[in-house]
Amino acid sequence: MNRLLIAMLAAGAVFANAQDDLPAPPAPDAALNVNERYTVERVQVKRKAWQQEDQVSGPLQKELDQLAGQKLNQDTLDSLATRIKKDLHVPNVAVHVSKGRMPDRVVVTFEAGEKEKGFDIDVERFLYHSKQGWTGEGGASVRVNGNKVTFGLVSDADRLTERYAGIQAGYERYSLGTDRVGLRFRFQDYHEQWNRSTLQAALPGELYRTRQHFIPEVTVRVAEPLEWTAGVDFARYRTFLPNPVAGLTARTESSNAAVTTLRYRQRWDSGSDYKQELTASYGLRSGTGFLESDAIFTRQVADARYQMKHGHQTVKVGFMSGRITGAAPMFERFVLGNSETLRGWNKFDVNPRGATRAVHGSIDYIYRWLLLFYDTGSSWNVGEDPEQKQSLGTGLHAGGFEFAVGFPVKTGHANPVVYVGMNF
Amino acid sequence: MTGPKRKQIRWLWLALTFVAGVATAMFAEELILRMQGNRLDFSAPRIHYLTGRPLARLKNAEPVAFDIQVKLSAQQASNVVRVNTARFVISYDLWEERFAVTRLTAPRKTVSHLTATEAEEWCLHEMSVLDVNGIAVTQPLWAHMEIRAEDERESRLFGRENISEQGISLTSLIERLSRPPKASQPHWELEAGPVTLEQLRRGG
Repeated sequence: MNRLLIAMLAAGAVFANAQDDLPAPPAPDAALNVNERYTVERVQVKRKAWQQEDQVSGPLQKELDQLAGQKLNQDTLDSLATRIKKDLHVPNVAVHVSKGRMPDRVVVTFEAGEKEKGFDIDVERFLYHSKQGWTGEGGASVRVNGNKVTFGLVSDADRLTERYAGIQAGYERYSLGTDRVGLRFRFQDYHEQWNRSTLQAALPGELYRTRQHFIPEVTVRVAEPLEWTAGVDFARYRTFLPNPVAGLTARTESSNAAVTTLRYRQRWDSGSDYKQELTASYGLRSGTGFLESDAIFTRQVADARYQMKHGHQTVKVGFMSGRITGAAPMFERFVLGNSETLRGWNKFDVNPRGATRAVHGSIDYIYRWLLLFYDTGSSWNVGEDPEQKQSLGTGLHAGGFEFAVGFPVKTGHANPVVYVGMNF
Repeated sequence: MTGPKRKQIRWLWLALTFVAGVATAMFAEELILRMQGNRLDFSAPRIHYLTGRPLARLKNAEPVAFDIQVKLSAQQASNVVRVNTARFVISYDLWEERFAVTRLTAPRKTVSHLTATEAEEWCLHEMSVLDVNGIAVTQPLWAHMEIRAEDERESRLFGRENISEQGISLTSLIERLSRPPKASQPHWELEAGPVTLEQLRRGG
């Protein structure tokens, strides 16, 4: 019996030794990467400035959102980086992991590389408005080694009191030695058409047939969500009504303005079921004699937009305020009563010449594809009393497509405005 | 050939041999051999491989695999008598700012809370030749050590599973190391010898 026991023990020892020679069983990944014990605090996707509008698909965004709160997993990060690369059509996506704000938390940043070469055709805006007619804007862009050249066509009857149609061209260098500084040149050549109401309300010499702009700008990315742009807008426009100052002949005038804009854009899109985005900007344009401008003016505008999405519900809140001092050309003046402001009002009824003062606020609520909105605002000129106007509306909203009918809130009969378009 | 010319060539050869000898001696200094009982230990205090791109990857919370191979040759440099091959996965703790190392090839071991130098030293210590029995104490020995960081692109292509034991066998590891390193792959080669076990035991 004892011999049998010894034999069994010996066999066991041999078996144990044999097992020692076998490769060790795979350990959990945490043993290979000490950081996999840490929890993901936040996930962000960074894109180059001119790729900001490129978005990852909904399901992928959901997966990215769900990463927050989970333990760090290198394989998951690599897999997501590959999918982001495909979604954004970029040559590479770098994954950066850094310490979070809280102990034992890490922040994951997916940084999309720049599209080295590429050709894109974009329809930036397409709109039909029952009071204004059609608006369309589109173009093509070519990117080569950090340079972007764009060329586009536009016919816009929505944003200003005029319909401006023509060409837009541009050159942009995203990085000027450093990613913090970029350079952009834009050229615009438009022909104008005016509504009868504007023609009747305009002062002599105020309207023009054509205008050209040349706008060199430098962009400085001050800190992550903050961007500062500065440049000069050299504008020339040919008036078509006799100018009482210049005499009876039509003449070419210039509006050369120093322009500067401070922009803030922040997204909070992970770590909870709520996706939030805040964009805000303050812009200053100053036509000055120093730049040999005929139009001497200062235009200030501040706006902010906040959007929160939770499940199928989205709430958007917007605010805009603007003020012009001096004699600004028509294309600088504020317009309310289009597809973005006081929806339901006709801009030619609100202020056919545009205005030098404007305040506007709006609230949109979207449930799945159902849109409800409320706008309120006022635009007026110096010497006029501001009159608050309001509008209500409803419609369909799906992705960038919107079909809506807006009603001006006023006494008397309702005269609704209908608009349908893309890229809202 | 005339006498003075032949003399010149001889001097040239002598000078070249001297320079080569000095260069080899300097190179050999990088890999230090020490005998601890019957075990041959390696150290290379002047070599730091946790630098450059591998270090940048580590500080980005990525684990980086290093393949290390030691070849011990006796009598002549081409006569390899012992080979020791191992894969180590190193990671850098973002919060504690210390390194952790896992030896993947058996016997599997993990150490953590190390500085960069300690992590490098630990890997080399793990490459010790445990048994020098059968090697004559007077035989001249040469040691050759190669350290390769895992190719970044390869790790991306095949996923991270190829840095665990599941994904790579000892045979495939030796097969990898027998191929020349890729241009993008950080690698270091160290040599020592000729030296005898007797000299090493005396601490020479």
